[in-house]
Amino acid sequence: MDFDVLVIGAGPGGYHAAIRAAQLGLKVACAEMDKVGGVCLNVGCIPTKALLHAGEQLAASRHAADFGLTFGETRMDISKLMGWKDGIVKKLTGGVSSLFKANKVTHLIGQASFVDANTVRVGDKTYTASSIIIATGSEPARLPGFDVDQDRVVDSTGALTITEVPERMLAIGGGVIGFEFAHVYTNLGSKVKVIEFLPNVIPGADADAVREFTKSMKKQGIEIATSTKANKLERKGNELHVEIENVQTGEKTTEVYDRVLVAVGRRPRTAGLNPEAAGVQVTDRGFITVDRQQRTNVPHIYAIGDVAGNPMLAHKAMKEGLVAAEVIAGKPAEQDAVAIPGVVYTSPELAWVGLTEAEAKEKGFQVKTGVFPLSASGRAMTLQSTDGFVKMVVEEGTDLLLGVHIVGPHASDLLGEAGLALEMAATATDIALTVHAHPTLGESVLEAAEAVHKQAIHIMNR
Amino acid sequence: RNVVHAAPSVRRLARELGVNIQTVQGSGVAGRISEDDVRRAVSGAPAS
Repeated sequence: MDFDVLVIGAGPGGYHAAIRAAQLGLKVACAEMDKVGGVCLNVGCIPTKALLHAGEQLAASRHAADFGLTFGETRMDISKLMGWKDGIVKKLTGGVSSLFKANKVTHLIGQASFVDANTVRVGDKTYTASSIIIATGSEPARLPGFDVDQDRVVDSTGALTITEVPERMLAIGGGVIGFEFAHVYTNLGSKVKVIEFLPNVIPGADADAVREFTKSMKKQGIEIATSTKANKLERKGNELHVEIENVQTGEKTTEVYDRVLVAVGRRPRTAGLNPEAAGVQVTDRGFITVDRQQRTNVPHIYAIGDVAGNPMLAHKAMKEGLVAAEVIAGKPAEQDAVAIPGVVYTSPELAWVGLTEAEAKEKGFQVKTGVFPLSASGRAMTLQSTDGFVKMVVEEGTDLLLGVHIVGPHASDLLGEAGLALEMAATATDIALTVHAHPTLGESVLEAAEAVHKQAIHIMNR
Repeated sequence: RNVVHAAPSVRRLARELGVNIQTVQGSGVAGRISEDDVRRAVSGAPAS
């Protein structure tokens, strides 16, 4: 065998698996046909967050007048913004390459394709490995009639490249990606509308949190239409004429846009991989089914990340990569996370971990909740960000924490505490008794725990 | 409802010792399972 472990794909899951396997003394190769870092680093998490930050700074410069700070005319040099964003991506992907070298992971360049259960062709060479980890990720789902040209009609990859700020933009899909780009473009000056086929945006998030989130998004100028679908697209010169239908009333309208973002989901990517040659089963939706140790139906072949199922999140892929590597190294690891956090990096952010109130009830828990609004947080006021709240879902009787849902600035960072609390099986009392620094946004987590017991200090308890 | 109240390190210890954490009786608040609870489950002694 050429290698102990061959990882196919160098995205978050793949490079985590490769590095951990190498740390555990295994001889590792990682095959990648595109750039190391995968979607997350190159055309996903990182560049989107860079654009979100820039847009927020622009918005912040407008609000600074509230405390007496005024500027001359604020201008955004789009090509400079693109260059800055690309520089961050380059630095991080270079970092992954350096980590491969430092950990003696062999980086194979080319499209990988199974020859048999222990042999993989990468480019025009074949390699054998005792264990193989499939980490091929996902790609944007297509919407019939909306051919992506990455110029006027874009998916998440094309939306990252901005040459001019569109006057009117339509985001098809009210998920995380749709809202993050809606927020970026709104802050840059576009008039953005988000349409979602389902009755609610951000599926999977707590209903109260979504309501609070959409309220703030609308306040910032984003138009949101739920139970709405895009039927067809007609290009007239530089204009995009989109037929939109309300799926409840059947009412159809045609609206004109300069740019359309198709963000209707992502599909697992196994094209060219030829998993059949190895006997690896793929579901009709294209996912590779795995057990808690990330094993496929072929015991020495593993699958991790987006290709192994939802949720399609980088941190889930990273964890699964570590699990697969450790199992291969003979350790009793398994994907046993109590909860995998979700985040929308808008401003305010929407972030959650654990069960929503509805999910907890569905699972048969007697539920108590506590909510602390940021309008009562001194720290939020000093940050000019009082939209939002912390909502805690707790089991009645045992006081066990079940879920935390946050709308507000730095919600994604506050989630670290909530995630640890869930993994440690903390009670609301444990959180309420933990001294949180004052003034901080984190105090809102403490106060939400107090609110569960109807003894929050900074709000009236009902 | 079917939940295990144990920290990640305790869950890993259970796997290392070959104990099904679902069967371990937690002695802590809200049925929380400690490392000692897992070790007691291996030795067969009842949780105190």
